[in-house]
Amino acid sequence: MCTGIALAWSEMPTELIGRHGLARRVHERGGEREFRFLYRDRRPRLPVWRDGRLQVVRWGNGRGQSRFLPRTGWTWLSTIHEGGWRGLGAIPVDIPATLALERGVWFRVRQGIRGLLVPDERGIAVVYMICEPASHYYQVMTRSERMPILIEERI
Amino acid sequence: MGHLDADCFYVSAERVRDEFLRDKAVGVLGNQGACVIAKSYEMKAAGVGTGMPIWEALVKCPTGIYVKRDFRWYEVLSRLMLDVVRELSPRVEYYSIDEFFFLAGPARGRTFQELAVALRDRIWERVRVPVTVGIARTRTLAKLISDSAKPFGAWAVLDPEAEAKLLADRPVTEITGIAGRRAARLAPWGIRTCLDLARADRRLVRALLTASGEALWWELNGDPVQPIHPQRPLHKALSRGGSFGEATSDPVVLYAWLVRNLERLIEELEFHAVCAGRLTVWVAYKDGRVGVGQAAPLVPSDRFDILLDTARPCLRRAWVPRVPAARMHLIAERLTPKGRRPLGLFDPPADRAEAIARLKREVNARHGRFVLRSGATLPLAAIYRDTANEYDICDVRGKICF
Repeated sequence: MCTGIALAWSEMPTELIGRHGLARRVHERGGEREFRFLYRDRRPRLPVWRDGRLQVVRWGNGRGQSRFLPRTGWTWLSTIHEGGWRGLGAIPVDIPATLALERGVWFRVRQGIRGLLVPDERGIAVVYMICEPASHYYQVMTRSERMPILIEERI
Repeated sequence: MGHLDADCFYVSAERVRDEFLRDKAVGVLGNQGACVIAKSYEMKAAGVGTGMPIWEALVKCPTGIYVKRDFRWYEVLSRLMLDVVRELSPRVEYYSIDEFFFLAGPARGRTFQELAVALRDRIWERVRVPVTVGIARTRTLAKLISDSAKPFGAWAVLDPEAEAKLLADRPVTEITGIAGRRAARLAPWGIRTCLDLARADRRLVRALLTASGEALWWELNGDPVQPIHPQRPLHKALSRGGSFGEATSDPVVLYAWLVRNLERLIEELEFHAVCAGRLTVWVAYKDGRVGVGQAAPLVPSDRFDILLDTARPCLRRAWVPRVPAARMHLIAERLTPKGRRPLGLFDPPADRAEAIARLKREVNARHGRFVLRSGATLPLAAIYRDTANEYDICDVRGKICF
């Protein structure tokens, strides 16, 4: 499972940095600053594009904040197609990313990753990363059985 | 003579189309995503070597960025670089995808050093790939000089004194063609640096390293004996194969790899209009063992059915049951030009096989490589699904070296 993403500093609006306390997520790679959003973080978050605006929302329900949302940060594409999210007000969103992390491997992402945004019982937006079975290459590279659905790109 | 070598070419090629990767530790992963086939200088500084498995590279460089290879793109840039070299030299050898040898002749009033700089800068300007250029009296010296000038260097050394200084600093193993075993043969004679080899007795060098070693001796002493080949000489052997990515002990999967390699090999035989007089199947196993099987068809052939009948028993001989195999190569030797192939008295009828081969060629030319292929490759469906596997480094034609 893709357990993290990195987004270049330049891609993040300044007002979001202050509002969501993103400064602690800043790291440097090759002399360039980036934000790292990791699922293992005590407050897992992901940036998403919604209605033409970049927002930072909760990534999944790993800590059981919601009683009815699945306790994970990912969903299969097939689950969406089978109607598993029907009736919950879920909408597809794009998760912008410059890099993604899977089992220690940072790999390049050209545009971003497909996500599913859903409100919990208190109306708080929660995003799930959409996955599919890993390609042979991805599986060898990361030793993972599933891979995120990248926007207009396949590894 | 000149030698041009792109600096960490695959990584540089990725950076041409992706500015984000500049100045970062980047590794390009090989065909199955398991090994680092090229690394940036930043990743090299972290201790990652070429050919290192990704899980080892991750330990040395945990924040490195890993990118999937794209040989089609690398070939585009390689040929653009080749065009630039041809503008400035009348004779160019396409040695490998990122290395060229050329005849160095500066324009009137210009020096060799200026030519080296002009070439490096023109390629950077036009292609945005950093290269290093070395110019010397022979190609062996030119390569040593460009290796010393990396990265993004341009250096012409034509003065024997300067050459000697350079050779004295380089271990003999830096000469292409002298690796561990040959170096070990030279060591008892006190030959450790390139200069030691250049100053050694020619007859001793010939006795230790045969005629090819003697050629290096002449080259190191400034006598050009290795010419530049503007055209690739005819192949003595053709081969297809490589790593499986995931090791397998399943004979059905091994057979599928054999058939895949054979179909790719036949494409190559057809392109060069030659027939294979002998096939070798080489299989490397995870426990370090190597299996080899060799057989010859009754008459040289490029037909799928005949070559598969030849290759099948080779695989059986190369197969070690229950031991996971990691890579395979299928090698065609004793190549005969198709028109000059001897006819056999008992050649099986060709009409059906040729009709199938023609159909396969036409369908694949129209709809994509490997769209129509042998059913025996079905266990490799995941490999065929990935279009990046349709084009490999060995599919870049016209270069001398792999």
